[in-house]
Amino acid sequence: QISWTLLLILGYLFYLLLGAMVLQLLEKQAETHFWDQFQLEKLKFLQNYTYLDRQALEQFVQVLMEAWEKGVNPEGNSTNLSNWDFSNSFFFAGTVVTTIVYGNLFPSTVAGQIFCVFYTLIGVPLNLAFLNQLGKGLNAHLIILERRVQKPAHAQVQLAILLTTGTLLFLVFPPFVFSYIESWSYGESLYFTFITLSTIGFGDYVVSTNPNKPYISVYRSLTTIWIGFGLAWLALVFNVGADLMEKFLQLKWHKPVLSLAGEATIKLEDEPEQPRIHIPS
Amino acid sequence: VLLLAYVGYVGLGAGVLQALERPAEVQAAQHLLQQHWELLANHTCLQGPALQRLIEGIIQAYKSGITLQGNTTSLGRWDFSGSFFFSISAITTIGYGNLSPSTVAGRIFCILFALFGIPLNLVLLNEIGQLMLLGVQHCARCLEEVFHWQKKASLLIKTCALVTGLLLFLLLPPLLFSDKEGWSYEEGFYYSFITLSTIGFGDYVIGMNPDHTYPGWYKNVISLWILFGMAWLALVIKFCINFLE
Repeated sequence: QISWTLLLILGYLFYLLLGAMVLQLLEKQAETHFWDQFQLEKLKFLQNYTYLDRQALEQFVQVLMEAWEKGVNPEGNSTNLSNWDFSNSFFFAGTVVTTIVYGNLFPSTVAGQIFCVFYTLIGVPLNLAFLNQLGKGLNAHLIILERRVQKPAHAQVQLAILLTTGTLLFLVFPPFVFSYIESWSYGESLYFTFITLSTIGFGDYVVSTNPNKPYISVYRSLTTIWIGFGLAWLALVFNVGADLMEKFLQLKWHKPVLSLAGEATIKLEDEPEQPRIHIPS
Repeated sequence: VLLLAYVGYVGLGAGVLQALERPAEVQAAQHLLQQHWELLANHTCLQGPALQRLIEGIIQAYKSGITLQGNTTSLGRWDFSGSFFFSISAITTIGYGNLSPSTVAGRIFCILFALFGIPLNLVLLNEIGQLMLLGVQHCARCLEEVFHWQKKASLLIKTCALVTGLLLFLLLPPLLFSDKEGWSYEEGFYYSFITLSTIGFGDYVIGMNPDHTYPGWYKNVISLWILFGMAWLALVIKFCINFLE
């Protein structure tokens, strides 16, 4: 058991190293480019307005940053739009509970931060229980479908169809909608979709945050609903993947199956983080 | 019923956050506006559109993750240690967002990387969690044999494990952070919790202060802490869910 875990840890570490190397290769140049560009912009600006001292400009940049961190978007002109009106707060609360959290907006008051901590303590398990229920429901349907089918090959085809439909519905189609409404490219929208549904939520792209665009009020609600169902489906996919990975590695390395003593109070058939769906093979 | 509770809970959070955050936001917006107009007023041949363009440029740069203040560069975000930390934040789904790929190739790679990395992460967390549980049960059995306690041993051991985990992963790390990052204890705790729950706001991120020097082992130790802390927290949450059911 210990040697298996060690192998897993090594594999995990190696995977991280691989990611780090590749990303560094791809991103370093762009970063340097951005930095140079920005310095040039500042210089040009100062050149055009020679009496504007550097200190005033730096101070202004500081104020901009603080405003940005508080969720105020300096690009827009109107102060009527708020990040903390009810509709936006609802969207934010949703991102907290699903742990997506884009980070373009976060509580800046101490009270807000404290509230977030407690809110998460209850909200994340609630979210997991909710997803678990949805997952169980989906799994039950899968089993029913499985039983109706005579040949195992048909079952696999059904699974493939199900996966494809889900992919189309939650991953391939929504980016079209987003790219139309947000004026992003399809690639950017797809990137946003994936980063959201995997609950990573970088926050470099967030829907309904452009101050220059007129959004209909249900847009955010629809997005939230999409996130809910997309999450349940993606959790299913990830768990199928993890399941297959475990079975494959079990087969290959004869990993000892964990057996607990008789009086174990908790049965470890469930994934700690997400609902574990077992595909009957 | 669960759906209703879920929606209701999110609504509740929305209401509270709105009440708490709106005033601060209004204040920040007013301050910004004031500064904006002051700048324009003090330098009368500075034009509105030019300033607007500069603002856009600043925001763009900020979104790309560049620290803008002063002249010193905080480059080296995409150096190896930065990229490594980013990889972790991706496959654990924490996703701080202070650093995110801006090239198309980087993004495509990120998607594929996460697609395989997240299940890998789940499997590993599960393994670590199981090992932890095994260890706890082993201790409980040892205690029972040595002291001839019955049910009490199990409960005692579980409580001990919970407290140890709490200390190790949630209560002690903020001390380290306040030493290395200069945060207050509350800020360190807030960061610990937000990280281990995989929420990852990104308002606090370790190792990002250009004025501090960090020892070589720092980021690696933090990575280990994230891994084991997440496994422990996930185990605790699982216990809670099972207990509720």
